[in-house]
Amino acid sequence: MSVFVEVDHVGRTFPMPDGDRYIALKNIELKIKKGEFVTLIGHSGCGKSTLLNIIAGLDKATQGGVLLEGRQVTQPGPERMVVFQNYSLLPWLTVRENIALAVDEVMSDRPKGERRGVVEHHIDMVKLRHAADKRPGELSGGMKQRVAIARALSIRPKLLLLDEPFGALDALTRSGLQDQLMQICEENKTTCVMVTHDVDEALLLSDRVVMLTNGPESYIGQVLNIPFARPRHRLEVVKHPNYYSLRGEAVNFLNQQKRGKQRKVKQTAIARHGLEKVNLEIGFIPLTDCAPLVVAKEKGLFKKYGLDEVTLSREPSWKAIVEGVASRRLDAAQMTAGMPLTMTIGIDGKPPLPTVTALVLSRNGNAITLSKHLYNEGVRTLADFKAAITSSPDKIHTLGMVHPSSMHNLLLRYWLASGGIDPDLDVSLTVIPPPQMVANLKAGNIDGYCVGEPWNSRAVYEDLGFVIATDLDLWDGHVEKVLGVREDWANQNPQTHLALVKALMEACEYCDDHRNREEILELLCQPHYVGSAPEYTRPGFIDPYQRGTDAKPELLLRYNQFHIEKTNCPYRVEGLWILTQLARWGITPFPKNWIEVLDRVRRVDVFGEAARDLGMMDIEPDRGSIRLFDGTVFNPDDPISYLNSLKIKRDLRIQEITIDLEAEARGERLEARG
Amino acid sequence: MTTQLERRYKAKNKNNIGKVIQKQSKKIVPPLIAIALFLLIWQILCSSPDSNLPSPIKTFQDTWDPLIIDPFFDNGGTDKGLALQILASLGRVAIGFSLAAIVGIAVGIVVGSNNFIYNAVDPIFQVLRTVPPLAWLPISLAALRDANPSAIFVIFITSIWPIIINTTVGVQQIPQDYRNVAKVLRLRGAKYFFKILFPASVPYIFTGLRIGIGLSWLAIVAAEMLVGGVGIGFFIWDAWNSSSLSEIILALVYVGIVGLLLDRLVAFIASKVVPE
Repeated sequence: MSVFVEVDHVGRTFPMPDGDRYIALKNIELKIKKGEFVTLIGHSGCGKSTLLNIIAGLDKATQGGVLLEGRQVTQPGPERMVVFQNYSLLPWLTVRENIALAVDEVMSDRPKGERRGVVEHHIDMVKLRHAADKRPGELSGGMKQRVAIARALSIRPKLLLLDEPFGALDALTRSGLQDQLMQICEENKTTCVMVTHDVDEALLLSDRVVMLTNGPESYIGQVLNIPFARPRHRLEVVKHPNYYSLRGEAVNFLNQQKRGKQRKVKQTAIARHGLEKVNLEIGFIPLTDCAPLVVAKEKGLFKKYGLDEVTLSREPSWKAIVEGVASRRLDAAQMTAGMPLTMTIGIDGKPPLPTVTALVLSRNGNAITLSKHLYNEGVRTLADFKAAITSSPDKIHTLGMVHPSSMHNLLLRYWLASGGIDPDLDVSLTVIPPPQMVANLKAGNIDGYCVGEPWNSRAVYEDLGFVIATDLDLWDGHVEKVLGVREDWANQNPQTHLALVKALMEACEYCDDHRNREEILELLCQPHYVGSAPEYTRPGFIDPYQRGTDAKPELLLRYNQFHIEKTNCPYRVEGLWILTQLARWGITPFPKNWIEVLDRVRRVDVFGEAARDLGMMDIEPDRGSIRLFDGTVFNPDDPISYLNSLKIKRDLRIQEITIDLEAEARGERLEARG
Repeated sequence: MTTQLERRYKAKNKNNIGKVIQKQSKKIVPPLIAIALFLLIWQILCSSPDSNLPSPIKTFQDTWDPLIIDPFFDNGGTDKGLALQILASLGRVAIGFSLAAIVGIAVGIVVGSNNFIYNAVDPIFQVLRTVPPLAWLPISLAALRDANPSAIFVIFITSIWPIIINTTVGVQQIPQDYRNVAKVLRLRGAKYFFKILFPASVPYIFTGLRIGIGLSWLAIVAAEMLVGGVGIGFFIWDAWNSSSLSEIILALVYVGIVGLLLDRLVAFIASKVVPE
């Protein structure tokens, strides 16, 4: 469908009495399709009502503009009717007269009888027949808002704008009105933009939730697509398996914004022990391989290297990690192997943000799980899976992975492609945060997934799925999680960065010793870390790995590899492999200047310095070829011919990646603000 | 709300009528006591035969016949009953005040809806509104060359300022919500005026009218003293010339009561017209 409303790089600046300027909105870009219900959500004062008023034409954008069906909005008009928060009914007119005022004015070309009919129809629609001759002063808040909605809908607006319409109502009235609004909008196919601060309301009503960051200079922080089928019913929506993960994302976003606001006020860098900053906030995802972070914290290794005040922040999704590091909420984070590269190059329309890694936190530890249904259909191998896909052309097999830049995505795609399955055409891949995988498999939303432990073992433990392949079968010793920080952060805090790498490297060494594993398991199972049950956290980590098939449990000593075999070095060749895979699947273009990109992102120099300080070996693994399970050889000297030799791939884009100018300008701006 | 409840309560429990009277009497008895005390003190102060002012009893005796018992006698000329005198004054007020209301509301709306005009004329209004009513009289006499129109003009010019100023404020204070509704619906011209602007500023307009009627009643008495003719103001002046102080006192009481009634009348109309 074509774009119906286009909010084109809108900015709004208010002059202040002291001659200063207050930048409320900055560079807001939003395209709304016909019939879509979009919600703007954010904290008070984030400029969401201002944005709504600009769309309505009641306020003017300082920069950019709004297009409705390709025509610029210059003034308010009835085709963009507004439902105001405080109803804005005229108190000297009755319910009928209030609606008639709008109808008579807007539909003045229609005969009188028809206009009467429209008014009466809408009085009935909001069930206010009994109050038609009352004045607003005699009505309750809910009734008043119903009148306002009826007035707005009666003139058949192309776009309905609602400014916190239910904000002042009690919970019961609110839910009744939400249902009514939803029904009316679905019947009339009205395009709606609503401002609210109620996450549940947003999830129930909208197709997309647009979340604005805190002002000043608010921008669209994140957009959630709400996949629930219409017509929706309150109870069914809540039961949808994605409901709580979506709600979690929205709430988490708002909480982050709130924390960000508080941090702006209080948190400044605390310098101590010759380090630039000892109060660090480090993000992690609840997975077995977050063990080095947990160990460094719990065993006092951060403190040992002078980092006195490290807080580990449990993040709901990899997306939240990216946001957290980009917005400087997080100083550092556990990242998927490709994330520093994709952040540096920029994906999903995000501007490039140079990000570096100086430490690999873990290798291996992933598996591909398919649902028990497929097992019962006889799927045992990749070939069986392909057969199952071909034999049921009507069914779309959906597989979950955690982030486009993660090894789960890249390895899963590689594995599928090696079996002749095109990961974009033959199956559908969807992003789901790791802790949500099992729930989605259980709900039947997905047929399998590739994720780190303990989320494979949990599916096996609950008899929901079986492990068709571990990553040891695909590429033994592949890079899995890395420590990621912003490049400008690393440059501003070189000593802190070094101390952080050293502390984590020592933690990695500790984690790799199987004698320590029982103790680490106990730490991981605490609810504020992974919070998983030991029964399904042990396999692979301590106990023999169970695949949920007839195969005997197998002890995989190298399944979670934290230190041995040069684990910790972020060497460049594997980075190049990741770049080729990202390009292969069209996630990023392949950088013509890949040597420069890898040099900037994978900071082998920092790793080397840390290793030397610790008396560990500072050796980058051999610059050799990488050979995967399917026998394909990846030659790091000729990535382009490697890419060209691949059969299943998307159209290759090869281009020079210039990351400096815009990225640095952005960095400076953020500093000036911070 | 509470009074409504009280009334309902009263209707249901007729036995409690006594209690209600007791309650209402709280509002009636104290002023009665105050008036009685006031009259008593006045009586004591002025009871000596060589007092300059008449005592209340003497006032009453002096004015009983014919002023109190026959308010409508007419002996021709200016020798008329008090009711006729007051009606004559009220007539002037009615004309002057009506003109002031019409002109004042119109001017107020124009000034209130245009910021440039407001900035231009507001300082002038602020100066003019402080001019005492009687200061206008010589000018109006010079311009109109007749007593009666001059008195009406004084009423007009005295009461117009609060009406203009309050109407202006009312128009400026139309809630943004109503303006937004009008903007979105593209209400313009007469429709905007009658559906939004005028109803929204009515409360302010009535505040202005109420102040205006009070001021015009103040002004008429003073003006009539100077211009003469039939009217309560000249009656007082006439009584002063014939040194019948009792008549003056009686007239003052009447003037006060009429002023109060006028104020209440406007307030009553406002309560019927202004939307809740």
